[in-house]
Amino acid sequence: MVERTFELPDLGEGIAEGELVSWLVAEGESVVEDQVIAEVETDKALVEIPSPQEGTIARLHYDEGEIVPVDAVFVTFDVAGEEGEEVTDVADGEVADESSEPTETAETADTVAAETPGVESDEAATGEDDVESAGPADDAPVPSGRVFAAPSTRSLARELGVDLAAVDGSGPGGRVTDADVRAHADGTSAEAASAAVVTGSAAATADGTESAATVAPADAGAVDIQEGGAASTSGPAAGAPASTPTADRDRTLGMPATRRLADELGVDLDAVPASEEREGEPFVTPEDVRQFAAGGSADTAAESSTAPAETTEAGASTVSVGGEDGGAGETAPEVSAGRKSSGAGTGADVEARSGERVPYRGVRRTIGEQMAQSKYTAPHVSHHDEFDATELVELRKELAAVADDEGVKLTYLPLVVKAVTAALQEYPYLNSSLDEENEEIVLHDEYNVGIAVSTDAGLMVPVIKNADEKGLKQLAEEIQDLAERARNRKIKPEEMQGGTFTITNIGVIGGEFSSPIINHPEAAIFAMGPIKERPWVVDSEVVARETMRFSMSVDHRLVDGADAARFSNRVKELLVEPSRLLLE
Amino acid sequence: MVMGDIATATDLLVIGAGPGGYVAAIRGAQKGLDTTLVEKGAFGGACLNRGCIPSKAFIHGADVAHDAANAEDIGIHADPAVDMSRMQEWKSGVVDQLTGGVEKLCKANGVSLLEGTASFEDEHTARIAHGGEGQGMETVEFEHAVVATGSRPIQIPGFDFADDPVLSSEDLLAMDSLPDRLVVVGAGYIGMELSTMLAKLGTDVTVVEMLDDVLPGYEDDVQRTIRSRAEDLGIEFNFGEGATGWEDTGDGVVVSTETEDGETAEYLGDAVLVAVGRQPVTDTLELESIGLEPNENGFLATDDRARTDVENVFAVGDVAGEPMLAHKASAEGIVAAEVAAGEPAALDQQAIPAAVFTDPEIATVGMTREEAENDGFDPVVGEMPLRASGRALSMGESEGFVRIVADEESGIVLGGQLVGPNASELVAEVALAVEMSATLEDVAGTVHTHPTLAEAVMEAAENAQGQAIHTLNR
Repeated sequence: MVERTFELPDLGEGIAEGELVSWLVAEGESVVEDQVIAEVETDKALVEIPSPQEGTIARLHYDEGEIVPVDAVFVTFDVAGEEGEEVTDVADGEVADESSEPTETAETADTVAAETPGVESDEAATGEDDVESAGPADDAPVPSGRVFAAPSTRSLARELGVDLAAVDGSGPGGRVTDADVRAHADGTSAEAASAAVVTGSAAATADGTESAATVAPADAGAVDIQEGGAASTSGPAAGAPASTPTADRDRTLGMPATRRLADELGVDLDAVPASEEREGEPFVTPEDVRQFAAGGSADTAAESSTAPAETTEAGASTVSVGGEDGGAGETAPEVSAGRKSSGAGTGADVEARSGERVPYRGVRRTIGEQMAQSKYTAPHVSHHDEFDATELVELRKELAAVADDEGVKLTYLPLVVKAVTAALQEYPYLNSSLDEENEEIVLHDEYNVGIAVSTDAGLMVPVIKNADEKGLKQLAEEIQDLAERARNRKIKPEEMQGGTFTITNIGVIGGEFSSPIINHPEAAIFAMGPIKERPWVVDSEVVARETMRFSMSVDHRLVDGADAARFSNRVKELLVEPSRLLLE
Repeated sequence: MVMGDIATATDLLVIGAGPGGYVAAIRGAQKGLDTTLVEKGAFGGACLNRGCIPSKAFIHGADVAHDAANAEDIGIHADPAVDMSRMQEWKSGVVDQLTGGVEKLCKANGVSLLEGTASFEDEHTARIAHGGEGQGMETVEFEHAVVATGSRPIQIPGFDFADDPVLSSEDLLAMDSLPDRLVVVGAGYIGMELSTMLAKLGTDVTVVEMLDDVLPGYEDDVQRTIRSRAEDLGIEFNFGEGATGWEDTGDGVVVSTETEDGETAEYLGDAVLVAVGRQPVTDTLELESIGLEPNENGFLATDDRARTDVENVFAVGDVAGEPMLAHKASAEGIVAAEVAAGEPAALDQQAIPAAVFTDPEIATVGMTREEAENDGFDPVVGEMPLRASGRALSMGESEGFVRIVADEESGIVLGGQLVGPNASELVAEVALAVEMSATLEDVAGTVHTHPTLAEAVMEAAENAQGQAIHTLNR
């Protein structure tokens, strides 16, 4: 018998880790090749991990509920025969991600591994981890030879277990700064994550394990646009809690040398995404300035592909900036995000607080990052209104009875989708995205409506593609199907991408109005309130009428309040007299 | 354990209360360790009691007398009378104040103080023999121990410090009256400091040195400046000669020397000072009980966390190796205590500065040009001669210089050599620059007070960049 280790395989582009939800095998149990041995939850889906081979489970290296980094050894097999073979790494297994389509798994992850530097840096990072994981008092590395760094920086390096000799200094004369050390310390996770994203985007077509591989070379333009568009919004480096990615601060802290550097490079310091905070203010490091100025350095590239990935993550979104990508359904491929440590600045006073501590991961974190990015990037303006839904209620009642006979449950939502897509065609800016990099507004030529779905794991937004071309029944069926699969985590990542507008139905739960956060980089979101009887003035008399209240948020960079109101009026018009929808 | 012993337990046992030991003890206590400090003699160690501090006190006294007597140029005519026993009293007052302060600081920080000589019984037990007959022993059980036993002056064959006319530096600093004539064996920093001081106080000093110049190891221009000033003070140098023995002739002590070629010479004095260096003290520790052995130079080898081969036993200061400097000992003591407390401290200093309190003073930190070259750097050197310093001239000084060595490519300061009044103070700035990896531009861009000697550091940094204002740039 020979022992073979099995590392957690690539779970999808940019995914650096997964939560081990359950083991489906026990130590000592025999397994056959491709037998599912574990379920791992990632940011977007529950992934079944198949056994790469036949054998006996020797050891399970993680407990259920633990977070397993990609490429970490998580199972050891006893394998019959193969005497004399060394313990080998068989982490070339393809992941039976729910989202993967068999026809797309043409090339193995091996190919990807061979081609992408990301894998190497992963390994390097892991190696460092091994060296540095022991108690700092005993084994934190001490630089040998001459490393230029101040005593406080060297002390920080020891605290963080960073080998200064391995850090590239960004200070004057190549001196290693505190920021360099921190970045290096974060690097083990951040680099791995961004590298993984690079893997994803650079080798998307090669990575057969992901549905993302559906991107054809012809789509490259769209991909570029998407990445480019996101690049400027992707500035915040690891741990930047509340920095304004769009670089438009009034006040920025930075060392004189940093300011000088910014001058030299012709960079507006207020425009540089800050990687640190000092006394609650964004603090820009020389590295930030360089990255911003370079725009295309390896890190930046990794980040810029990270950012759009985040925006398109399953949790909450539907991004396709690449509107030129006409291919139906085959929108840009970014599936997931590199993980960046988050909330460093805000954690300070929370750190010491007692109470149950729930890991901020997976869908929750994706939602958080997505929402934060949206809110910090897009100036939201809200608009609220109410309309007499009497006719809408009656129409739905009639149609529902018919649909019911055909086994379709017709809610108000398809009717609202219909009205919204009709109005969007008249107000294209509500169906647009801002390509910040190129300073262009992309008026989308498709109407892909995201539907916010509340699931146990958190908010998910499946997307109805080309909603304008679909009838009420088809919409109803699709919504029902997508929502159900979102709730039981069977939804594919690409089914949550490519949205151009989002509708959320808060009415099913309660409340009157809300101020929804736009599903970045869309331009607007529409929140339906509940339909119920309310006092309504008809011919100067207050009568009870079924009305719906709704709320909208729009990105004021793209849409002014007046346009939002006009759009809202048009939606209202169509819903007050829903028979008008027939004309659409 | 022997019956009647008192056994106590402590987290951190520090052996020796010199600048390495007391600093380690205080830092250990600050870090929450139950700390015990054992000292067989006086708190403050050799530095405070028999070394740095007393010698600097006398050097100051000698400077006052000498400067007063040699100020005709600036219109002062004086012939000061030196009362050596009074100066000795004053020095003792200074020492007492400092050593008392050390003791108070230790107590205030919660360090338990023990008087006695410590030896190891095993890796977690030490026995403390109290001084004097019948004072008894006690046992201390420790988690970590710091050996800070320091060093003592080296004796050479034929010269026994037990003989009256043979003086160690420590003996000399305890004298109530000065010899009229003194033969000094050794022109290292101790020999030179004391020779200079004695010469200023009126002693005829003859120096015998085996090597071919003063202050072996220093750069030529440094040696030259010091030697020439010493000769001006009337010190007679005999290089290339080793002292072989002495004889009391009734008219004084005759010290005989021999060159490598076998030529002999004799020098007459009232006493002979042997200042050829110091050796680490390890013989009282019973190191074999814990399996430790000094290396061939007598030092305890330590790693970058000040640990010996026995993991819970640290060694700091002179006993842990060169350079034998109090500030190095203190820096090591801090690291040892912090590591013992579980912190990620390490001995990662870029440089340990050093000062020699000759006339003029010498101070160095980091690399010389040659060392930088040997280390693979492409060094650039900037210099400011003090004859161009308004402050130096207004102090009646024109000798000396400030030299700064940097890496040409990055501009990062690698070291400095300073000769001149208060060089021992000026070096702190260069040390900070080296430690911070500051660049020449950083130093030159820091506004310095005028008129001060420190301006010379800024000027040297400018000079290294070819843009000094007050000196011609090369």
